[in-house]
Amino acid sequence: MATAEAHRSSTGKYIVVYVCILAIAALQFVIAYSNLDGSQMLARMLVLATIEAALAVLFFMHLWMENRGLLWFVVILTGFVIFAMQYSWTDSFRLLNGVPWAK
Amino acid sequence: MHDVPVHHHAPPTSFLRKHVFSLDHKVIGKQYYGLALIAVFVGMILSWLMRIHLGWTNLAIPGLQLLSKSGAPGGIITPEYYLQLMTMHATIMVFFVLTTAPFAAFGNYFLPIQVGAEDMPFPHFNMMSFWVTFIGFVVLMSSFFVGDGPTLGGWTQYAPLSAVGAVSGPGQGTGVVLWATAIAIFCIGQLLGSLNFITTTLDMRTRGMSMWRLPFSAWAWFITSIMGLTAFAVLMPACILLILDHVAGTSFFVPGNLVINGQIQPHSGGSTLLWQHLFWFFGHPEVYIAIVPGMGIVSHVLTPNLRRPLLSHRVMVYSMGALAVLSYMVYGHHMFVSGMNPVSSLVFSFPTLVITIPSTIVVLIWMGSLYGAKLRINSPSLFALGFISMFITGGISGFFLAQPSIDIMLHATYFVVGHFHLVMGVAAMFGIFAGTYFWFPKMFGRMMNETLGKIHFWLSFVGAYCIFMPFHYLGIAGNVRRYPAFTDDYLQPLIPLHRFITVAAVLTGIAQFIFLYNLVHSRFWGKPAPENPWEATSLEWSTPSSPPPFDNFGGKLPTVYHDPHQYGVEGASADYVMQTSPEQIKSGHDEA
Amino acid sequence: MSHADLTLEGYSAAIMPPAFSIPAKKMAMWLFIIADSATFAACLVAYGYLRVADAHWPRPFHSITNVAIMTVILVTSSLTMLFGIDAAKAGDKAKAVRWTMITAAGGILFALLHIREWLGLIDEGMRLFQNPWGSALFGASFFSITGLHLLHVTGGVIALIVVGIRYKGGRYNSDDLEITGLYWHFVDLVWMFVVPLVYLLNLSH
Ligand code: HEM
Ligand SMILES: [Cu+2]
Repeated sequence: MATAEAHRSSTGKYIVVYVCILAIAALQFVIAYSNLDGSQMLARMLVLATIEAALAVLFFMHLWMENRGLLWFVVILTGFVIFAMQYSWTDSFRLLNGVPWAK
Repeated sequence: MHDVPVHHHAPPTSFLRKHVFSLDHKVIGKQYYGLALIAVFVGMILSWLMRIHLGWTNLAIPGLQLLSKSGAPGGIITPEYYLQLMTMHATIMVFFVLTTAPFAAFGNYFLPIQVGAEDMPFPHFNMMSFWVTFIGFVVLMSSFFVGDGPTLGGWTQYAPLSAVGAVSGPGQGTGVVLWATAIAIFCIGQLLGSLNFITTTLDMRTRGMSMWRLPFSAWAWFITSIMGLTAFAVLMPACILLILDHVAGTSFFVPGNLVINGQIQPHSGGSTLLWQHLFWFFGHPEVYIAIVPGMGIVSHVLTPNLRRPLLSHRVMVYSMGALAVLSYMVYGHHMFVSGMNPVSSLVFSFPTLVITIPSTIVVLIWMGSLYGAKLRINSPSLFALGFISMFITGGISGFFLAQPSIDIMLHATYFVVGHFHLVMGVAAMFGIFAGTYFWFPKMFGRMMNETLGKIHFWLSFVGAYCIFMPFHYLGIAGNVRRYPAFTDDYLQPLIPLHRFITVAAVLTGIAQFIFLYNLVHSRFWGKPAPENPWEATSLEWSTPSSPPPFDNFGGKLPTVYHDPHQYGVEGASADYVMQTSPEQIKSGHDEA
Repeated sequence: MSHADLTLEGYSAAIMPPAFSIPAKKMAMWLFIIADSATFAACLVAYGYLRVADAHWPRPFHSITNVAIMTVILVTSSLTMLFGIDAAKAGDKAKAVRWTMITAAGGILFALLHIREWLGLIDEGMRLFQNPWGSALFGASFFSITGLHLLHVTGGVIALIVVGIRYKGGRYNSDDLEITGLYWHFVDLVWMFVVPLVYLLNLSH
């Protein structure tokens, strides 16, 4: 941050991101009171949470400003491991529904 | 260009800093190796006890009652105690030998040297990594002496029996809690280690050492540490949830209305399959954590003995990477018969068959490189060949197991035990041996005895096949694993085979004392090692002394000019060119 | 001086530039974050697994006020952390320390509100092994997930204070502050998943 101006503009950016994150969180709270069924609500919540998290990682944690290699390393590795973990769901649904998917 | 001097820091002088809480990666590597050495002999003696019990069920083993009065009254092992010994054998071997020796021990010692660094970036984490692992080992071993002994649940600790406490057998209360605590602690140690390995590889490479100039072993440790970073991070919370089921009355892994030993369990709502999902999500990457360093070591050991590069450096590295990626997608192949949804069996069967492709490519690269080569026969190269042989034999049974319809018959039989002992147990052990014979001159400045090494190899090689090949027949004959005795009619005819295996196991075990003798004797009285006994090119052979000085390269960092596989180079002054040699080569093998 | 402390410029003289153009310390923090994401993901998946399998999962939460306040506090503390780091990079030490301590205070406030909420729930009869509303696993997963997160917050507060003080004393520099900040943002990020999954999906209607 060489100049005061660059400093001010990054402060501005942070505040924009901050407001966005809080707005998305607020949206989640609104959705929580709607009458959506379980899986619909879960899907919306997860998408919104992922957007929030992406904003935080990219701008609060500066991943956007880092070397692109780091971005891919972190996102692909974490994403892949978390993705691979999702397979257990099928058995969970089956305990309830008798079939390996949501009903 | 000249070697760049680095800021010099003085080696420690106090005994504690030098030998106990050392920050030097070389000392930490040796500490890990020592831990693995103790663990492997404990594990081996446990396996003897098991084998003797399987061959001669009512034989009294004198003195065993001293270890556990209730487990071995009069020296005769009870069925429960058999299972307790088995669980400890497997846990010690998988975690404290196959993970620590090829990965943590050799990796710690040689990764920083091979990348040309003076140490790892976080020496304190590194020291903690070892001591935390050591505490894990102590906690695990303490379960022998607490309450009614160690857990009997097997290294996989399947729920619900692992989660309901003492009602499911001796050692299932405190024993399981100690087991899970030990493993959770172990995970922390390995996470700290992985952190150091990855940052060492990414950030500490000396001038000229591009990623593609790293030798195979460094690549293998790097890839393994990425697996370790994410796999141990999942096992740790799983163990903590298991502990909560014991100490806090939760029911993560226990369903409702469960009756065990005539008692209805005060649990409800949990899922036994959840444990298996969490465990195998770690468990399958773990088996590759055990084997990939071995692949790296074997490639690294073979190349200088072949006097020519392997067929392809890059394809080898890509294959090891592919193994790492696929290892996260196949874990369900351990659960084909668990009651998991049958569609999943199909889904997991496919990547399991796909993972055989990179495995096969790795093997083909070795075979193709061996074809027509004038291999130098010495202890390291023999053990490297042994590794390849075991990996192939054990891998082939994997093809069968990978298919759900066949696995229904083979699951939980000795066939599986044969499979993983060959492909993981013995293969990884041979990798450790190859590494030991190869690097001993660097670590201690003395050569190991070649004759003893070769005798050790042939006895171990023949012995391992005598022990583990018959396992496949036992399995096909329907011999279920984890049976403490063979009282059923259909198993009676198999008893002679079991006795043969027991004899082979005891003899092969005794042969390991040759190795121990060789190790200790050579450490003090071995022939002084020449500077570069294998005429190898990688950086560990460019250090000014053996063992290397405290800062590895003696107050400077080397500069790297070549790939690590410049062997049989035409027109060079020798038939090989060191990575640090500024010599220009006309027809080198530089891929980078 | 070890390699971990070398600045980026220092690197290029003796060794290869670091793979992702960041110093080893920062890389280590990213690696820790990757591992910790896997840990939290495993916990959340386990929770979801058990929840989905249970037709009578309780949805006992009546009010979102507390968790909303906690969320605002935690996200705001991320923002103040950024101000601190920016000030440190600009060389304004006093300001950087001030913002860092404000961040730590935010963390403490968050933890206090969290503990108050826990005590309220315990008062209502919720335990790790039982609760008055339905599946016993509700309490088990709620306390273990939020407990793990609370542990991270506590560790983070301690780290912020220690690093803040040492930064003030000159032992740590603005990079160290930034790396601590990475951890703090990550704690915030985890909360972004905990809130909808553990709180909002268990809201009674
Ligand atoms: C050629 C590739 C491989 C295939 C297709 C394969 C397939 C399988 C399958 C399907 C099982 C489950 C059998 C059952 O429980 O019924 C299994 C078990 C096992 N495999 Fe492999 N495998 C391969 C390579 C490896 C390697 C390289 C290792 C270790 C380095 C390994 C270690 C193990 C272990 C430890 C078990 C048993 C775990 C237990 O139940 O205690 N496998 N393998
Ligand atoms: Cu597997």
